[in-house]
Amino acid sequence: MERTPLHRRVAYMRRCLFDQGYLDEQFVQLEDLQDEANPNFVEEIVTLFYTDSARLIHNIEQALQNRPLDFNRLDDYMHQFKGSSSSIGAKKVKSECTQFREHCSARNAEGCIRSFQQVKQEHTILRSKLEAYFHWQRKLDKQTESYPELAA
Amino acid sequence: MEKMGFGNVTSTSKTMKIIDTEKKISVLIVEDNLLIQKIHKVMMTKFGTEVQLATNGKEAVDLFLSGASFDLVLTDLEMPIMDGIEATKQLRSMGVTSMIVGVTSRNQDSEIQAFMNAGLNACYVKPLNAEKVTVVLNELKNI
Repeated sequence: MERTPLHRRVAYMRRCLFDQGYLDEQFVQLEDLQDEANPNFVEEIVTLFYTDSARLIHNIEQALQNRPLDFNRLDDYMHQFKGSSSSIGAKKVKSECTQFREHCSARNAEGCIRSFQQVKQEHTILRSKLEAYFHWQRKLDKQTESYPELAA
Repeated sequence: MEKMGFGNVTSTSKTMKIIDTEKKISVLIVEDNLLIQKIHKVMMTKFGTEVQLATNGKEAVDLFLSGASFDLVLTDLEMPIMDGIEATKQLRSMGVTSMIVGVTSRNQDSEIQAFMNAGLNACYVKPLNAEKVTVVLNELKNI
């Protein structure tokens, strides 16, 4: 039940992430895994995702400098990126990864370069949205600790 | 193709049911991606299983060679040093009868069939979720 303004804010932010297509059902699976034994599981997984994906982005950027492009290597990197994105429910990021891989299959260098910009953009947008969401979620958790009677 | 092997997924429950057995089901997760490894480990632990990790197929094979045994092996396909297909073939040729389930992000029928042909009991497209795990563990209970 969304009682306090903070509850409503967090619930609204979460709803938007799904309604606007940034996240899919897999994120809910991660939330279901969070419990007393793993109280910060979702945020830990997302943090791990951004560490892992930063490495992949760097690798892809390097690979895009080569001429001619090694489409097989690019596809491998993006396959890993897509797998990680899929594991956290990053729906738009995953979709852009798919586009990139289609350009790899078609050996379309310009398409790869263009779609990689989209991948990075969606990756960045999701990061800022999730950071904001976790920020307010932490505030809500503190409120709940201080005032357990307000817990949902 | 989302899944190959067991029957149709009938459970729609999102609740993680701890499978009631006297002895905990032992699971070996073979996965090189640390993010996915962590997710699968927590998921399987939440289902009440005992989990060990291997980061590639060779580590998995070495574990069995050292005398370890597991009720269930969940293995990725693409891994460095030794991939899931090779690891599965080796395990089967060693006489390992554990349930081996492939979990891969490859979703082409031919790729999944090749993985199945290595000796898997079933193969799922990543990511694992509660429904897929429930089917696998129920299948294990019925063996």
